[in-house]
Amino acid sequence: MTAAAPYEEVCRYLGYKRGVQPDPETERLIRACTARVEEAAEPKVVSTVLPLACSGEDGLKLGPIGVKSAALAKNLRGCGQVILFAATLGLEVDRLIARSGAGRVAEGAVYQAAGAALIEAVCDAANDALRRESEAEGWYLRPRFSPGYGDFSITHQPDITRLLRTPERIGLTVTDSMLLLPVKSVTAVMGRARQAVPCHRQGCEACGKTDCPFRRESA
Amino acid sequence: MNIREKLGRERLFFDGGTGTLLQAQGLKGGELPETWNLLHPERIQALHRAYLEAGADILCTNTFGANALKFPEGGQFALEAVVTAGVDLARAARAEAGRERNAWIALDLGPTGKLLKPMGELDFEDAVALYAQVVRTGAEAGADLVLIETMSDGYEAKAAVLAARENCDLPVIVTTVYGENGKLLTGGTVASTVALLEGLGVDALGVNCGMGPAQMEPIVRELTAWSSLPIVINPNAGLPRTQGGRTVFDVGPEEFAAVMERLSACSIHLMGGCCGTTPDHIRALTARCRSLPFSPPVPKARTVVSSYSRAVEIGKSPVLIGERINPTGKKRFKQALREHDIEYLLNEGFAQEEAGAHILDVNVGLPEIDEPALLTEAVCALQAVIPLPLQLDTSDPAAMERAMRRYNGKPMLNSVSGKAESMAAVFPLVKKYGGVVVGLTLDEAGIPPTADGRVAIAKKIRDTAAQYGIPAHDLVIDPLTLTVSSQPDAALVTLEALGRIGPEVGCPTILGVSNVSFGLPQRELVNTAFFTMALQKGLSCAILNPRSAGMMGAWRSYRALAGLDEQCGDYLAAYGGQTAPAPAAAEPAAPLDECVLRGLKEGAAQATKAALAEGAAPLELVDRLLIPALDQVGRGFEAGTLYLPQLLMSAEAAKAAFEVVKAAMAGQSRETRGTVVLATVKGDIHDIGKNIVKVLLENYGFQVEDLGRDVAPEVIAAAAARPGVRLVGLSALMTTTVVHMEETIALLRRQLPQVRVVVGGAVLTAEYAGRIGAHCYARDAMATVHFAQQVYPQT
Repeated sequence: MTAAAPYEEVCRYLGYKRGVQPDPETERLIRACTARVEEAAEPKVVSTVLPLACSGEDGLKLGPIGVKSAALAKNLRGCGQVILFAATLGLEVDRLIARSGAGRVAEGAVYQAAGAALIEAVCDAANDALRRESEAEGWYLRPRFSPGYGDFSITHQPDITRLLRTPERIGLTVTDSMLLLPVKSVTAVMGRARQAVPCHRQGCEACGKTDCPFRRESA
Repeated sequence: MNIREKLGRERLFFDGGTGTLLQAQGLKGGELPETWNLLHPERIQALHRAYLEAGADILCTNTFGANALKFPEGGQFALEAVVTAGVDLARAARAEAGRERNAWIALDLGPTGKLLKPMGELDFEDAVALYAQVVRTGAEAGADLVLIETMSDGYEAKAAVLAARENCDLPVIVTTVYGENGKLLTGGTVASTVALLEGLGVDALGVNCGMGPAQMEPIVRELTAWSSLPIVINPNAGLPRTQGGRTVFDVGPEEFAAVMERLSACSIHLMGGCCGTTPDHIRALTARCRSLPFSPPVPKARTVVSSYSRAVEIGKSPVLIGERINPTGKKRFKQALREHDIEYLLNEGFAQEEAGAHILDVNVGLPEIDEPALLTEAVCALQAVIPLPLQLDTSDPAAMERAMRRYNGKPMLNSVSGKAESMAAVFPLVKKYGGVVVGLTLDEAGIPPTADGRVAIAKKIRDTAAQYGIPAHDLVIDPLTLTVSSQPDAALVTLEALGRIGPEVGCPTILGVSNVSFGLPQRELVNTAFFTMALQKGLSCAILNPRSAGMMGAWRSYRALAGLDEQCGDYLAAYGGQTAPAPAAAEPAAPLDECVLRGLKEGAAQATKAALAEGAAPLELVDRLLIPALDQVGRGFEAGTLYLPQLLMSAEAAKAAFEVVKAAMAGQSRETRGTVVLATVKGDIHDIGKNIVKVLLENYGFQVEDLGRDVAPEVIAAAAARPGVRLVGLSALMTTTVVHMEETIALLRRQLPQVRVVVGGAVLTAEYAGRIGAHCYARDAMATVHFAQQVYPQT
C-alpha cells in the first residue's frame, strides 16, 4: 500500500496558517523530509466488523468491548454494526524521527508533521475502501471516531488492539500509558447503518477542541 | 527419542492452526485462547489428538500468549497453571494416541505484544525475564523443545532465545513472520535474521504465519541460500481475507499440500501449518510429503554480520568498517565521552554511514570511564537509529559481553588474539551470543616478525575457536599492519601473511590500514597505495576513515578494476559528472549572522572557520554575531512572522557554528550560563519537543543534561540534585503521562525546593501546568529559553 502526505497538510501540522507559503529553503526541507517519511513508511491496516448494542445515553457494546461515551454513542446513533479499525505507518518512521533527535531538530519537526499527514491520508484511503465495501453490502459508513475524541477514553486502546490482534498482524502495540507504538498509528471505530445520514463534519472539523492551534480552517 | 537426533536427519511435521479452530468452537475475539487450557481442557486435548492422528510429529502447546503481561500475578488465571496445563494436555493427547516414542511437545512462545526499548517501552532484560518464567514452567512440565514463533522483531526473538538457552537444555526452534516485502515488521531481512539466530545457536529456524505457502516461496529460497540449519515452514492456509467482517483463509487441504510438496524441493526439513490450517490440511500434507526424498541441511560457511535490518557478508566484495567512533588521538571525541555526549557519537556514525561505510567500529575506551556501561549505552543508541552492523571494539571482556547481550543482531567483535587468556575470555561469549570475531595474529610472544609466524597464530586461533564450536567462517584474521617508517619490510610481511591466510587458514581477512604510514608526511598517499596492494592480496575488510576521499577512491577503483562493480556503476555513481577533484574548502557562502538567519548549517560552520582563521576571538563571534542573529529569529518566531521550521533551521546553523567554536577552544568547555535538566516524563516517548528545547537552550549558552524519554521521577530528581542545578524542564504529550509529570514535580518540590520546574507539551495549558505544581508553563521552546534566563540571570 503506497500513500502520499499532501504538502499543504504537512505545512498545516508545522503551524503554517492557511495561505502562508514557506520560503524556498524551508520548502526544500519540507519536501525532502516528506519524501523520506513516505519512503520509510510501510502503511498497514486491519479491521473487523462487530455487532453494536446501545443502552441509555452513553452505554455501548462494540462486540465484546463495553464503552461508556456519550460522544461515541451520538456518533453511532442509528447504527447496527461497527467496524473496528487500526492503521500504522510502521517502525521505520519512528526510527527516522529518532534519528533526527541527534541535533537535526528541523528535520524532526517535519518528519513529525509529515507522519501525521501521511497516517491521516492512509486512514482516509482505507476508510474509503471500507465505505465502498459496506455500501456494496447495503450499509452506510459513518466517519471514523478514535479513542481520545471527546469522552471516548484512550484506555480502550488495548481492547481494540487485542481484539484486532494488531501486535502480531501489523506490529501495532499499546504502552502502559496508552500510547500507540509505532507512534504514527491510529485506531478507530466506524458505525455501519442501514440509513444514510447526511454528515459533512469529519476528521479535524468534527473535533470539539475549537481552540486547537492546528485546527483546519474551512475554505 | 530425543528430538535433537531427528532434526535435520529426517522430515518432521508440525501441527496446524489453533486460534482459528478455537474460534470456530466459540472462542470470542479478544478472549485469551490460553485460558481454555483450564476452562475447556477437553477441547484442547481433542485438538492435539486430531493433529496427531493427522500425522503431526510435533504438537505446539496452547501457550502462544502465555506470559506475565497477559496473565499478571493475582489475575483470574495463574500463569504457571496455564502453562503447565498446556504441556499436560499435549502430553495426555500423545499418551492417548500411543505416540510417546515418536511425537514431541513444543513449548510454544509467541511475541510479548509489547515493543522493546528504545523504540518501545519493554526493557530487553524484562523481555528475557518474561520468557524465562514460561520456559522454566514449561520445561518442568515436560516439554521436549521450545518453539519461538510468529516473531516479527529479531530483538524480541533474541530475548526469547536467551531465556530458553539460560533456563533449559531443550532444543530451540525459531520461526519469524515475513511480509510480502520479504521483511519482518521491524525491518529484518531473511539474511539478517538467519545470521542473528544462527549466532545465538538455535537448532532450527524458519518462517510461519503472515502468508500462504505459495507466497512463501521467495522467502523459502532465501532461507535455503543463507541457513545452514534445518528449515521450518508453517504457512497459513493462504493469505487472510476479510469476508463479512471475518477473517477467512481460502487454501484447502489438497491445494495446501500440493504447494508444500513443490516447496519441499527447496530442501525443507520441518513443515506444518499456521492460521486457517486444520487437521485435514496436516493429513493431506503428511500424506503427500512424508515419503518425499529428504536432503539434510548444507553448511553455507558464509561470514555474515547483521544489524536489526541489514546483513553484511564478508569475503565477497571488500567491506569497509568505519573507524571514527574511537577516542584514540582525538581530543574532541574524548571530551564528548567525558561529557557523556552520546549525540556526538551518533553524528560520527551518521557521517560515516553517509560516506559509505558498511559496518561501524565502536570504541569508547578511556581510562577514567565505566566502559561496560558506556559501550552498552553507545551501542544501544547507535543501533536504534543506524542500520549498519556494529563492530564492538574493546579489550575488556565484561564490556564486550554486556554490549553483545544488548546488541540487536550478530555483531562483529574487535578482537581476540592468539593469547590463551584472550581466547578463553572471548570465545565463550561468541559461542553464546554469536558474532564474527577479529583474530589478531599476536600471542604471548608478541607479534611474529615473519608471515610464517602470523599464519601459525591464525591457525592456532582457528583451531582453538573450533574447540568451542566456533566455525572458521566466524573468524576474520588480522595479519597486523606495522609502521613502514620504522621497519622497512613491515608492509611486505603483512601483505604476504594476508595472501596466505585465505588459502592456508580458510578465514577472511581484515586490516587497520592507516598504521602503515605512521611518522610519514602526506600519510594518505601511503595509506591508499598500501590499501590497494592489500586489496589485490585479497583483503576482505578494512578498518578506515570512510570520509577519506583517497581511501574511498582506492576502494571504488579497485572494485571497478577487479570486476566487482558491474559496468562500473558504483564508480560512476560516485564520480560521474566530475571532471576534476572537488575544490577544497569553498569560500563561505555568506557571513555568519546571515547564515544563521537563513538556516544554512554548512555555511555557518564554514563562516565560523573562516572568521577564526582570520583571527576572530571565539567568544566574540558568539556574542557579536551568533546570539544577535538567534535573537532576531526568536523574535520573528514569537511575533508569528517566522515559522517553526525556520526557527529550527537557524538553531541548527547556530549549533554548527558553536561546534566549530568548541573544537577551536581545544577541548576547554565554554563557560556556561547554568545547567538545565531536561526529560520527557515516565511513560512518554515523544521527544521532538524536548529535543527542540535542548538545541535552543544550548545555543543560548546553557549546559543541558538530557535524560532522554520515558524517564522515572527518581532519575530526574537524582540529576536535579547535582550541585548548581536550578532548573528542570519536563515534557509530556498525553493526558495519561501528565500524571507522571505531576508525580515528578511533587518529588522535586519535596526533595529539592530550590529547583524550578518548567513544563511543556501538547495537552498542557498554563492553568493545567499550575494545577500540577509547575513553576512555569512554556508554550514553545523560546518561552523555555526566556524562563531559563530568568532562573539564571546574566552575571
